[in-house]
Amino acid sequence: MVKLRARCLLLGDPAVGKSALSHIFHSDGTLFQKNYSMTTGVELLMKCVNIPETNDSVELYIIDSAGKETLVETCEKMWGEPSLLCLVFDLTSEHSFANCSRWMERVRVHCHGLHVPGVLVGNKSDLSTRREVQASMAQEWAQSQGLEYHETSAKEMENCDAPFLSLARIFHSLYHECRETIQSLSPG
Amino acid sequence: MTEASLSLLGAKVVVATSSDENHPPENIIDGNTNTFWMSTGMFPQEFIIRLPEPTMVSAVTVDSYNVKHLKIEKKMSQNASQFEFATQKEFQNTEGHLQSNAISLNGSSATDLRFIITTGHDHFVSVHRVTVQN
Ligand SMILES: Nc1nc2c(ncn2[C@@H]2O[C@H](COP(=O)(O)OP(=O)(O)OP(=O)(O)O)[C@@H](O)[C@H]2O)c(=O)[nH]1
Ligand SMILES: [Mg+2]
Repeated sequence: MVKLRARCLLLGDPAVGKSALSHIFHSDGTLFQKNYSMTTGVELLMKCVNIPETNDSVELYIIDSAGKETLVETCEKMWGEPSLLCLVFDLTSEHSFANCSRWMERVRVHCHGLHVPGVLVGNKSDLSTRREVQASMAQEWAQSQGLEYHETSAKEMENCDAPFLSLARIFHSLYHECRETIQSLSPG
Repeated sequence: MTEASLSLLGAKVVVATSSDENHPPENIIDGNTNTFWMSTGMFPQEFIIRLPEPTMVSAVTVDSYNVKHLKIEKKMSQNASQFEFATQKEFQNTEGHLQSNAISLNGSSATDLRFIITTGHDHFVSVHRVTVQN
Protein backbone atom coordinates (compact mmCIF):
# COMPACT_ATOMS: atom_id res chain seq x y z
CA MET A 1 0.00 0.00 0.00
CA VAL A 2 1.38 3.36 -1.02
CA LYS A 3 -0.07 6.80 -0.51
CA LEU A 4 1.29 9.24 -3.04
CA ARG A 5 1.02 13.02 -2.95
CA ALA A 6 0.91 15.29 -5.94
CA ARG A 7 0.73 19.02 -6.35
CA CYS A 8 -1.61 19.66 -9.25
CA LEU A 9 -1.63 23.10 -10.84
CA LEU A 10 -4.96 24.12 -12.32
CA LEU A 11 -4.44 26.86 -14.89
CA GLY A 12 -6.08 28.62 -17.79
CA ASP A 13 -7.71 31.88 -18.84
CA PRO A 14 -10.33 33.66 -16.71
CA ALA A 15 -13.85 32.19 -16.63
CA VAL A 16 -13.01 29.00 -18.53
CA GLY A 17 -14.38 26.95 -15.63
CA LYS A 18 -11.36 25.94 -13.55
CA SER A 19 -13.07 26.53 -10.23
CA ALA A 20 -16.27 24.92 -11.46
CA LEU A 21 -14.39 21.77 -12.50
CA SER A 22 -12.36 21.49 -9.32
CA HIS A 23 -15.41 22.01 -7.10
CA ILE A 24 -17.39 19.36 -8.91
CA PHE A 25 -14.52 16.92 -8.65
CA HIS A 26 -13.98 17.80 -5.00
CA SER A 27 -17.67 17.62 -4.04
CA ASP A 28 -18.33 14.40 -5.97
CA GLY A 29 -20.57 16.15 -8.43
CA THR A 30 -22.86 18.07 -6.14
CA LEU A 31 -21.67 21.61 -6.57
CA PHE A 32 -22.01 23.69 -9.71
CA GLN A 33 -22.05 27.42 -9.33
CA LYS A 34 -23.92 29.16 -12.11
CA ASN A 35 -22.87 32.66 -11.16
CA TYR A 36 -19.32 33.56 -11.94
CA SER A 37 -17.24 34.35 -8.92
CA MET A 38 -13.72 35.19 -9.99
CA THR A 39 -10.84 33.54 -8.16
CA THR A 40 -8.54 36.31 -6.99
CA GLY A 41 -5.70 34.27 -5.49
CA VAL A 42 -5.09 30.55 -5.29
CA GLU A 43 -7.49 28.09 -3.78
CA LEU A 44 -6.25 24.77 -2.48
CA LEU A 45 -8.44 21.68 -2.69
CA MET A 46 -7.38 18.22 -1.64
CA LYS A 47 -8.91 14.97 -2.77
CA CYS A 48 -7.70 11.45 -2.37
CA VAL A 49 -8.05 9.23 -5.42
CA ASN A 50 -7.90 5.45 -5.20
CA ILE A 51 -6.06 3.79 -8.03
CA PRO A 52 -8.19 0.98 -9.45
CA GLU A 53 -6.99 -2.59 -8.96
CA THR A 54 -4.41 -1.57 -6.37
CA ASN A 55 -4.35 -0.62 -2.70
CA ASP A 56 -2.59 2.58 -3.65
CA SER A 57 -3.96 6.09 -3.59
CA VAL A 58 -2.93 9.55 -4.70
CA GLU A 59 -3.69 12.66 -2.70
CA LEU A 60 -4.19 15.43 -5.21
CA TYR A 61 -3.45 18.89 -3.87
CA ILE A 62 -5.21 20.96 -6.47
CA ILE A 63 -4.04 24.53 -6.76
CA ASP A 64 -6.78 26.52 -8.45
CA SER A 65 -5.04 29.68 -9.58
CA ALA A 66 -6.67 32.90 -10.79
CA GLY A 67 -6.82 33.27 -14.56
CA LYS A 68 -6.94 37.05 -14.64
CA GLU A 69 -3.75 38.40 -16.16
CA THR A 70 -3.06 41.05 -13.52
CA LEU A 71 -3.33 38.48 -10.71
CA VAL A 72 -1.11 35.81 -12.22
CA GLU A 73 2.18 37.19 -11.02
CA THR A 74 1.13 37.14 -7.37
CA CYS A 75 -0.39 33.69 -7.73
CA GLU A 76 2.74 32.28 -9.33
CA LYS A 77 4.57 32.73 -6.05
CA MET A 78 2.23 30.15 -4.54
CA TRP A 79 2.52 27.56 -7.29
CA GLY A 80 5.60 25.90 -5.83
CA GLU A 81 7.06 22.99 -7.75
CA PRO A 82 4.17 21.27 -9.50
CA SER A 83 3.91 17.49 -9.84
CA LEU A 84 1.04 17.63 -12.34
CA LEU A 85 -0.65 20.14 -14.62
CA CYS A 86 -4.29 20.59 -15.55
CA LEU A 87 -4.64 23.25 -18.24
CA VAL A 88 -8.19 24.36 -19.02
CA PHE A 89 -9.68 26.35 -21.90
CA ASP A 90 -13.23 27.21 -22.91
CA LEU A 91 -14.43 25.37 -26.03
CA THR A 92 -16.48 28.44 -26.97
CA SER A 93 -13.44 30.73 -26.87
CA GLU A 94 -10.73 30.41 -29.49
CA HIS A 95 -8.82 33.02 -27.52
CA SER A 96 -8.66 30.90 -24.36
CA PHE A 97 -7.31 28.01 -26.44
CA ALA A 98 -4.67 30.17 -28.14
CA ASN A 99 -3.49 31.35 -24.73
CA CYS A 100 -2.71 27.81 -23.59
CA SER A 101 0.78 28.03 -25.01
CA ARG A 102 1.47 31.06 -22.85
CA TRP A 103 0.33 29.12 -19.80
CA MET A 104 2.67 26.28 -20.76
CA GLU A 105 5.58 28.70 -20.90
CA ARG A 106 4.74 30.07 -17.49
CA VAL A 107 4.57 26.60 -15.97
CA ARG A 108 7.85 25.52 -17.47
CA VAL A 109 9.72 28.11 -15.40
CA HIS A 110 8.44 26.44 -12.24
CA CYS A 111 9.33 22.89 -13.23
CA HIS A 112 13.12 23.26 -12.97
CA GLY A 113 13.69 20.82 -15.79
CA LEU A 114 11.46 18.17 -14.24
CA HIS A 115 9.01 16.44 -16.53
CA VAL A 116 5.54 17.43 -15.30
CA PRO A 117 2.76 15.27 -16.77
CA GLY A 118 -0.38 17.11 -17.69
CA VAL A 119 -3.81 17.16 -19.25
CA LEU A 120 -5.50 19.70 -21.50
CA VAL A 121 -9.19 20.20 -20.78
CA GLY A 122 -11.70 21.75 -23.17
CA ASN A 123 -14.59 22.77 -20.92
CA LYS A 124 -18.20 23.89 -21.59
CA SER A 125 -18.92 21.11 -24.09
CA ASP A 126 -22.63 21.69 -23.34
CA LEU A 127 -22.56 24.94 -25.35
CA SER A 128 -22.22 23.01 -28.59
CA THR A 129 -23.74 25.68 -30.85
CA ARG A 130 -21.15 28.20 -29.69
CA ARG A 131 -18.15 25.93 -30.06
CA GLU A 132 -15.10 27.66 -31.56
CA VAL A 133 -12.45 25.01 -31.01
CA GLN A 134 -12.69 21.67 -32.78
CA ALA A 135 -11.71 18.56 -30.87
CA SER A 136 -9.23 17.54 -33.54
CA MET A 137 -7.34 20.82 -33.27
CA ALA A 138 -7.19 20.69 -29.49
CA GLN A 139 -6.15 17.06 -29.59
CA GLU A 140 -3.35 17.81 -32.01
CA TRP A 141 -1.96 20.66 -29.95
CA ALA A 142 -2.24 18.64 -26.75
CA GLN A 143 -0.26 15.85 -28.32
CA SER A 144 2.46 18.24 -29.45
CA GLN A 145 2.81 19.33 -25.82
CA GLY A 146 2.73 15.83 -24.39
CA LEU A 147 -0.65 16.42 -22.77
CA GLU A 148 -3.65 14.12 -22.66
CA TYR A 149 -6.84 15.72 -24.01
CA HIS A 150 -10.27 15.68 -22.32
CA GLU A 151 -13.55 17.47 -22.97
CA THR A 152 -15.84 18.29 -20.07
CA SER A 153 -19.00 20.11 -19.11
CA ALA A 154 -18.99 21.33 -15.56
CA LYS A 155 -22.53 22.52 -16.04
CA GLU A 156 -23.85 19.10 -17.07
CA MET A 157 -21.32 17.41 -14.78
CA GLU A 158 -20.07 15.45 -17.70
CA ASN A 159 -16.67 13.82 -17.66
CA CYS A 160 -15.40 16.21 -14.95
CA ASP A 161 -13.58 13.55 -12.94
CA ALA A 162 -11.79 12.08 -15.93
CA PRO A 163 -8.93 14.61 -16.22
CA PHE A 164 -8.12 14.36 -12.51
CA LEU A 165 -8.36 10.58 -12.36
CA SER A 166 -6.15 10.36 -15.37
CA LEU A 167 -3.56 12.62 -13.74
CA ALA A 168 -3.61 10.49 -10.61
CA ARG A 169 -3.06 7.35 -12.66
CA ILE A 170 -0.18 8.92 -14.58
CA PHE A 171 1.49 9.97 -11.33
CA HIS A 172 1.00 6.50 -9.91
CA SER A 173 2.68 4.87 -12.87
CA LEU A 174 5.55 7.38 -12.70
CA TYR A 175 6.11 6.30 -9.11
CA HIS A 176 6.27 2.66 -10.04
CA GLU A 177 8.64 3.30 -12.91
CA CYS A 178 10.88 5.32 -10.64
CA ARG A 179 10.81 2.62 -7.98
CA GLU A 180 11.80 -0.01 -10.49
CA THR A 181 14.70 2.12 -11.68
CA ILE A 182 15.87 2.58 -8.10
CA GLN A 183 15.58 -1.13 -7.37
CA SER A 184 17.91 -1.89 -10.24
CA LEU A 185 20.61 0.63 -9.27
CA SER A 186 24.16 -0.30 -8.47
CA PRO A 187 25.94 1.19 -5.43
CA GLY A 188 27.55 4.63 -5.81
CA MET B 1 30.19 4.07 14.69
CA THR B 2 31.35 3.68 11.13
CA GLU B 3 31.49 -0.09 11.34
CA ALA B 4 28.04 -1.15 12.52
CA SER B 5 24.74 0.06 11.13
CA LEU B 6 23.07 2.89 12.99
CA SER B 7 20.13 0.72 13.95
CA LEU B 8 22.37 -1.87 15.63
CA LEU B 9 23.76 0.99 17.66
CA GLY B 10 20.31 1.93 18.89
CA ALA B 11 19.54 4.79 16.54
CA LYS B 12 15.98 5.22 15.27
CA VAL B 13 14.23 7.06 12.50
CA VAL B 14 11.61 8.93 14.48
CA VAL B 15 9.90 10.92 11.74
CA ALA B 16 9.59 10.50 8.01
CA THR B 17 7.24 12.40 5.74
CA SER B 18 6.57 9.66 3.22
CA SER B 19 5.85 6.02 3.43
CA ASP B 20 5.60 3.14 1.10
CA GLU B 21 4.99 0.02 3.21
CA ASN B 22 7.57 -1.83 1.18
CA HIS B 23 10.22 0.83 1.65
CA PRO B 24 9.99 2.01 5.27
CA PRO B 25 12.28 4.65 6.81
CA GLU B 26 14.10 2.00 8.90
CA ASN B 27 15.82 1.05 5.66
CA ILE B 28 17.85 4.24 5.93
CA ILE B 29 19.74 3.05 8.99
CA ASP B 30 20.03 -0.70 8.41
CA GLY B 31 23.48 -0.23 6.87
CA ASN B 32 22.41 -1.90 3.63
CA THR B 33 22.35 0.09 0.37
CA ASN B 34 20.08 -2.48 -1.28
CA THR B 35 17.19 -1.43 0.92
CA PHE B 36 15.83 2.10 0.81
CA TRP B 37 13.22 4.58 1.93
CA MET B 38 11.41 6.26 -0.89
CA SER B 39 9.57 9.55 -0.99
CA THR B 40 6.03 9.43 -2.32
CA GLY B 41 5.63 12.83 -3.91
CA MET B 42 6.14 16.57 -3.38
CA PHE B 43 8.90 18.47 -1.64
CA PRO B 44 10.23 19.09 0.93
CA GLN B 45 10.67 15.61 2.36
CA GLU B 46 12.31 14.90 5.66
CA PHE B 47 13.36 12.27 8.14
CA ILE B 48 14.87 12.52 11.61
CA ILE B 49 17.46 10.11 12.99
CA ARG B 50 17.62 9.92 16.76
CA LEU B 51 20.91 8.74 18.23
CA PRO B 52 20.78 6.81 21.52
CA GLU B 53 22.90 9.45 23.26
CA PRO B 54 24.55 12.81 22.51
CA THR B 55 27.31 12.01 20.04
CA MET B 56 30.11 14.00 18.50
CA VAL B 57 29.40 13.87 14.79
CA SER B 58 32.19 14.87 12.46
CA ALA B 59 30.49 13.82 9.25
CA VAL B 60 27.61 11.89 7.76
CA THR B 61 27.57 9.87 4.58
CA VAL B 62 24.37 9.73 2.58
CA ASP B 63 23.69 7.16 -0.14
CA SER B 64 20.69 8.27 -2.15
CA TYR B 65 19.10 8.70 -5.55
CA ASN B 66 17.53 11.75 -7.23
CA VAL B 67 18.26 14.06 -4.29
CA LYS B 68 19.11 17.56 -5.49
CA HIS B 69 19.39 19.61 -2.33
CA LEU B 70 19.78 18.40 1.24
CA LYS B 71 19.71 20.47 4.39
CA ILE B 72 20.78 19.02 7.73
CA GLU B 73 19.64 20.34 11.08
CA LYS B 74 20.57 19.03 14.52
CA LYS B 75 19.47 19.02 18.12
CA MET B 76 22.19 19.15 20.74
CA SER B 77 20.17 17.21 23.32
CA GLN B 78 16.84 15.46 23.65
CA ASN B 79 15.37 18.40 25.58
CA ALA B 80 16.53 21.11 23.21
CA SER B 81 13.34 22.67 21.93
CA GLN B 82 14.47 23.49 18.44
CA PHE B 83 16.58 22.23 15.63
CA GLU B 84 19.57 24.28 14.58
CA PHE B 85 20.86 24.59 11.06
CA ALA B 86 23.95 22.41 10.58
CA THR B 87 24.80 22.37 6.89
CA GLN B 88 23.43 22.00 3.39
CA LYS B 89 24.59 20.51 0.12
CA GLU B 90 23.68 20.22 -3.56
CA PHE B 91 23.83 16.66 -4.89
CA GLN B 92 24.81 15.88 -8.47
CA ASN B 93 22.41 13.87 -10.55
CA THR B 94 23.68 10.32 -11.11
CA GLU B 95 22.22 7.94 -13.60
CA GLY B 96 22.29 4.22 -13.11
CA HIS B 97 24.04 4.32 -9.76
CA LEU B 98 23.57 5.78 -6.30
CA GLN B 99 24.63 9.20 -5.14
CA SER B 100 27.15 8.92 -2.34
CA ASN B 101 27.96 12.12 -0.47
CA ALA B 102 30.09 12.70 2.60
CA ILE B 103 29.00 15.79 4.46
CA SER B 104 31.14 17.41 7.13
CA LEU B 105 29.43 18.46 10.37
CA ASN B 106 32.42 19.95 12.18
CA GLY B 107 32.39 17.53 15.08
CA SER B 108 29.45 19.04 16.86
CA SER B 109 27.48 17.12 19.44
CA ALA B 110 23.97 15.97 18.48
CA THR B 111 21.18 13.61 19.49
CA ASP B 112 18.78 14.24 16.65
CA LEU B 113 19.74 14.77 13.04
CA ARG B 114 17.09 16.11 10.72
CA PHE B 115 17.53 15.58 6.99
CA ILE B 116 15.44 17.85 4.81
CA ILE B 117 15.35 17.14 1.10
CA THR B 118 14.19 20.43 -0.38
CA THR B 119 14.31 19.47 -4.05
CA GLY B 120 14.92 16.46 -6.24
CA HIS B 121 16.20 15.62 -9.71
CA ASP B 122 12.90 13.76 -10.15
CA HIS B 123 9.48 13.71 -8.46
CA PHE B 124 10.63 10.90 -6.18
CA VAL B 125 13.84 10.40 -4.25
CA SER B 126 15.25 7.50 -2.29
CA VAL B 127 17.65 7.28 0.63
CA HIS B 128 19.50 3.99 0.93
CA ARG B 129 21.90 4.50 3.79
CA VAL B 130 23.00 7.13 6.24
CA THR B 131 26.12 6.55 8.31
CA VAL B 132 27.56 8.75 11.01
CA GLN B 133 31.28 9.32 11.60
CA ASN B 134 32.58 10.56 14.91
N1 LIG C 1 -22.28 26.48 -19.81
C1 LIG C 1 -21.25 26.24 -19.01
N2 LIG C 1 -20.83 27.15 -18.14
C2 LIG C 1 -19.78 26.87 -17.33
C3 LIG C 1 -19.15 25.60 -17.38
N3 LIG C 1 -18.16 25.60 -16.47
C4 LIG C 1 -18.17 26.80 -15.87
N4 LIG C 1 -19.14 27.56 -16.37
C5 LIG C 1 -19.46 28.93 -15.98
O1 LIG C 1 -18.39 29.77 -16.38
C6 LIG C 1 -18.19 30.79 -15.43
C7 LIG C 1 -16.75 30.80 -14.95
O2 LIG C 1 -16.47 29.61 -14.23
P1 LIG C 1 -15.30 29.55 -13.15
O3 LIG C 1 -15.17 28.15 -12.74
O4 LIG C 1 -15.52 30.55 -12.10
O5 LIG C 1 -14.05 30.01 -14.04
P2 LIG C 1 -12.51 30.09 -13.63
O6 LIG C 1 -11.75 29.45 -14.73
O7 LIG C 1 -12.32 29.56 -12.28
O8 LIG C 1 -12.24 31.67 -13.67
P3 LIG C 1 -11.15 32.52 -12.84
O9 LIG C 1 -11.33 32.16 -11.40
O10 LIG C 1 -11.45 33.95 -13.12
O11 LIG C 1 -9.79 32.15 -13.35
C8 LIG C 1 -19.20 30.57 -14.29
O12 LIG C 1 -20.32 31.40 -14.50
C9 LIG C 1 -19.60 29.11 -14.49
O13 LIG C 1 -20.90 28.86 -14.05
C10 LIG C 1 -19.64 24.64 -18.32
O14 LIG C 1 -19.16 23.51 -18.43
N5 LIG C 1 -20.69 25.01 -19.11
MG1 LIG D 1 -11.67 30.36 -10.52
